[in-house]
Amino acid sequence: MTDMVTLAVPSKGRLKEQFDAYLGTAGIALKQTAGARGYRATVEGHPGIDVMLLSSSEIAASLANGDVHLGVTGEDLIREAAPELDRRIALLQPLGFGFADVVVAVPASWIDVSTMADLDDICAAYATRHKKRLRIATKYTQLTRSYFASAGISDYRIVPSAGATEGAPTAGTAEAIVDITTTGSTLKANGLKILDDGVILKSQATLAQSLMAEWSAEQRSAAAAFLVPLGVSLK
Amino acid sequence: MPSFPTYGPDEIAALDGVANAVLGVFGAKGYTRHEPAILQPAHLFVDRSGEDIRRRTFELTDPSGQELCLRPDLTIPTCKWQVESGNPYPARLCYHGPAFRHQPGAGQFWQAGAELLGLPDRAAGDAEMMGLAAEAVRAGGVNNFSMIVGDLGLFNTLIDALDVPAQWRGRLKRHVWRTGYFEKLLARMVAGEGSDAERTVDKLAGLKLMELKPTIENMIDAAGDAPLGGRTRDEIIERLTLQACEGESVRLDADVADLISEFLKVSGPCEEALERLRALTKPVAVKMLKPLSAMADRLHALKSMDIDPARVRFVAHFGRNLEYYTGFVFEFWTHSGEVAGGGRYDTLMETLGAPRGTTAVGCAIRTERLIAARAAQ
Repeated sequence: MTDMVTLAVPSKGRLKEQFDAYLGTAGIALKQTAGARGYRATVEGHPGIDVMLLSSSEIAASLANGDVHLGVTGEDLIREAAPELDRRIALLQPLGFGFADVVVAVPASWIDVSTMADLDDICAAYATRHKKRLRIATKYTQLTRSYFASAGISDYRIVPSAGATEGAPTAGTAEAIVDITTTGSTLKANGLKILDDGVILKSQATLAQSLMAEWSAEQRSAAAAFLVPLGVSLK
Repeated sequence: MPSFPTYGPDEIAALDGVANAVLGVFGAKGYTRHEPAILQPAHLFVDRSGEDIRRRTFELTDPSGQELCLRPDLTIPTCKWQVESGNPYPARLCYHGPAFRHQPGAGQFWQAGAELLGLPDRAAGDAEMMGLAAEAVRAGGVNNFSMIVGDLGLFNTLIDALDVPAQWRGRLKRHVWRTGYFEKLLARMVAGEGSDAERTVDKLAGLKLMELKPTIENMIDAAGDAPLGGRTRDEIIERLTLQACEGESVRLDADVADLISEFLKVSGPCEEALERLRALTKPVAVKMLKPLSAMADRLHALKSMDIDPARVRFVAHFGRNLEYYTGFVFEFWTHSGEVAGGGRYDTLMETLGAPRGTTAVGCAIRTERLIAARAAQ
């Protein structure tokens, strides 16, 4: 088992279906292993590939730690899990589905705010006026920190949010948010608007290689053979 | 990965020796020793220094979910203690102990520090702190050092004196120390932003003052039942009113931008630098007179501390990258790096609950680096 190449793929939902379809176009099919409670699969014709079905965020963390060799998940989650991407993970191929933007959104009633520079003014004014920092709710702590730093904003604090981030300003647990959006309609329904220069990342599902995992020569050739029909080569 | 040094008997003796020498200087000048706890509530630092410091802070969560941290500096907890103690001002406090930062090398470093809190005479406070730091560095066995000085107050006065749109003054003052970003910011201001919010201001700019408030209220209402996100309607109205009164399509004058850039480029031996600043700021000489002569006084005070002005560099854009510094800042350098630094941080005390206008100036001495610098001498 130890000399198998582990490939982590989404265990359920639309991302899994779309990835199956993507493999299908290259004539590859995953076969779920009986008895493994549906958390493992094999690839026909590639006995050296051990497929693990994990949640999207687990896949990003496993790539960052080197617990798996290859993985498919959103670029947003990969960049969040591995801020120093270059050393840890190589993005091999964007897959053309699972599109989502990571954006900075503020209440639509802030008619005086439409850029990061405006938000910067507001953060400073808020700290002076309310004697506390303006709060940004997000599950993208790392992405938020580096994007805000590049926009010169430091007068704020991050409130970690596990879910339903878009409701935080209405609930009063944060003033603004960083979250993913596909059509923007959920943000709109919650009375939020995206800043003009507030798109942190245009993300999509991505096939990625862990640079932290142990790669033997056998594993490299097994992985390379699997990737050939997809037109992808290893780093 | 940081390194995890173990201090042997010789190193501990050296560290104790330097610490005692430095604390001896502080004590002789009336500074009493207080040691804040190493473990501190994280929000104390994040609320004051912002998310930037969080990236460099070791945070942990206790079993009840409270966010704690290893103190990234001793200034904030020391100032907090002074505010909560109810002790009279001015207060002179000092300490020596480890602080913790994510940084290359060891995440733990030792520093001694002194804080002079609530002395109304700022010039006297600046001189006292600079002299104290110089004496402490010498007591630690380092005589061969140079200095860098700067003054964020000088820059702030310049921005207020120049023809800069009111809503941009804060932006320029906040970002002066971010090299690279600041130049882009200036260029954007000269070009104008052309954003939605700017178009909103353009619409408002033609209105009479009494029409402003109801018009802005209508605009906010037009956003539907959107949340206010912790801001009040008045905050939004005030900000837009201020901007509308500036007129439409605000741009920064290119000559003003040039003057700001040239000002920030000033760097050199302090006496020459001061002359250059005087020449540059001639168009607003009246307003710059006071802060420039305050800087001249500080530099003059250096002579009485037996510091050669030729070894003191004035760097106009020099602000410490801990953002609570507000005015005069200084650093002591040797061939093996920075050994001490400090400056004025007049807004910190108020955010901790002290009466408005409570002044603060302090210094930190890197005791381990003093030992290294002494050895290299």
